Amino acid sequence: MDGIHDLGGKEGHGPVPVTDGDAPFAHDWEQRMWGLAREGICPSMTIDWFRHGLELMVPGDYLTFSYFQKWATNYLMLMIDAGQITLEELERGYVLDPADPAKAKTADQIVDQVRRACVDFSVPEDAPAAFAPGDTVRTLRQITHNHTRLPAYARDCEGEVIAHHGCHLFPDEGAHNRHVGQHLYTVSFTARELWGQDANPRDSVTLELWESYLVPA
Amino acid sequence: MSTFDSKHAADLHRHLHSHLPSDPALRVKALESLAVEKGLIAPETVDAWVEAYSEHIGPMRGAKVVARAWVAPEFKARLLADATEAIKEFGFEGNATGHLHAAENTDDTHNMVVCTLCSCYPFSILGMSPAWYKSAAYRARAVREPRAVLAEFGVDLPEDVAVRVWDSTAELRYLVVPQRPAGTDGWDEERLAGIVTRNSMIGTDRVLKTGAA
Repeated sequence: MDGIHDLGGKEGHGPVPVTDGDAPFAHDWEQRMWGLAREGICPSMTIDWFRHGLELMVPGDYLTFSYFQKWATNYLMLMIDAGQITLEELERGYVLDPADPAKAKTADQIVDQVRRACVDFSVPEDAPAAFAPGDTVRTLRQITHNHTRLPAYARDCEGEVIAHHGCHLFPDEGAHNRHVGQHLYTVSFTARELWGQDANPRDSVTLELWESYLVPA
Repeated sequence: MSTFDSKHAADLHRHLHSHLPSDPALRVKALESLAVEKGLIAPETVDAWVEAYSEHIGPMRGAKVVARAWVAPEFKARLLADATEAIKEFGFEGNATGHLHAAENTDDTHNMVVCTLCSCYPFSILGMSPAWYKSAAYRARAVREPRAVLAEFGVDLPEDVAVRVWDSTAELRYLVVPQRPAGTDGWDEERLAGIVTRNSMIGTDRVLKTGAA
């Protein structure tokens, strides 16, 4: 979708907030939010449905909310959508029929859990790859209305395939809980192709792009 | 069960926007208390996550990997060939590093990492991402004017050094391997790891300082 989240190349955002942003968390509620999300309190979602949820936020909120403020809003949406909590419970502020409390985990258990959370997104190849490293490809100009991972700044551009990763889960489908694979490539674009002749001729931007985002150049 | 219905999600977002106080502290408090009452998480587990990532999982992990690459050419070869496997030698695999790629800086190339569509980051090897990495300004500008962004981080990159920006919008994540600075001959891995900054492994720092180590 052509959403507000697609920020690459947009102008007017001012300097990078280096000085006020070195610590991961500015407020206690930010680390509470982060921990809730890490623990996976909405187990029926997929990573791409989570991302799509952020993209579907009210655009003004997306730009003005801080990062974890967006997460808080998105998690409320995701959990209501999944039927885990209701709007009535949210407005009331408590649950009428509480469940048995979850067991507390220790930091050591979390460290172990993180290690076991190494997810492989590759899937068996069920069709031959259309492209190979060294090929010149062109990206599509049009994208779908739903979740997709071809940024606006790199549409209808020519680039060179520099790596092929076999098939990875296709996010456009994963956002809707359909687990299908598609060939994934790293494509390198010259800065001049993306931004014009004023760009440094040595500079480039690379993107991982799924096969259906690409056509032969 | 999630509906995976875009229109439903957008409608819910608009409802929350109109009916809920926007104060994020209140929203998170509501979310946590409902999740706790539903038996989905214990409050102590949130603390445990923060402790795990502050004490055990952080940029010191990436720094150890970089330091070993500097002193052990055969490890460096493995890291550049398949970083996903190479970091398992340290037990550093995990959140968002199932497909990790190491990008090595050289005299004529500088690597820099961003995610323009969200804020993807190799958590299990670099820990929690800094706030600037998630800012609209960094996400918008890193791909378009990386040299100007680098200048804001105090990196003065010569015109003849190429910048390669990795926009990590799929499930591949990137670890920049900075160059080993001069004057560190004979240093052991631990001492070398001490000079590797988090920003150098994202690509917003380039020439590492040896003075304080």
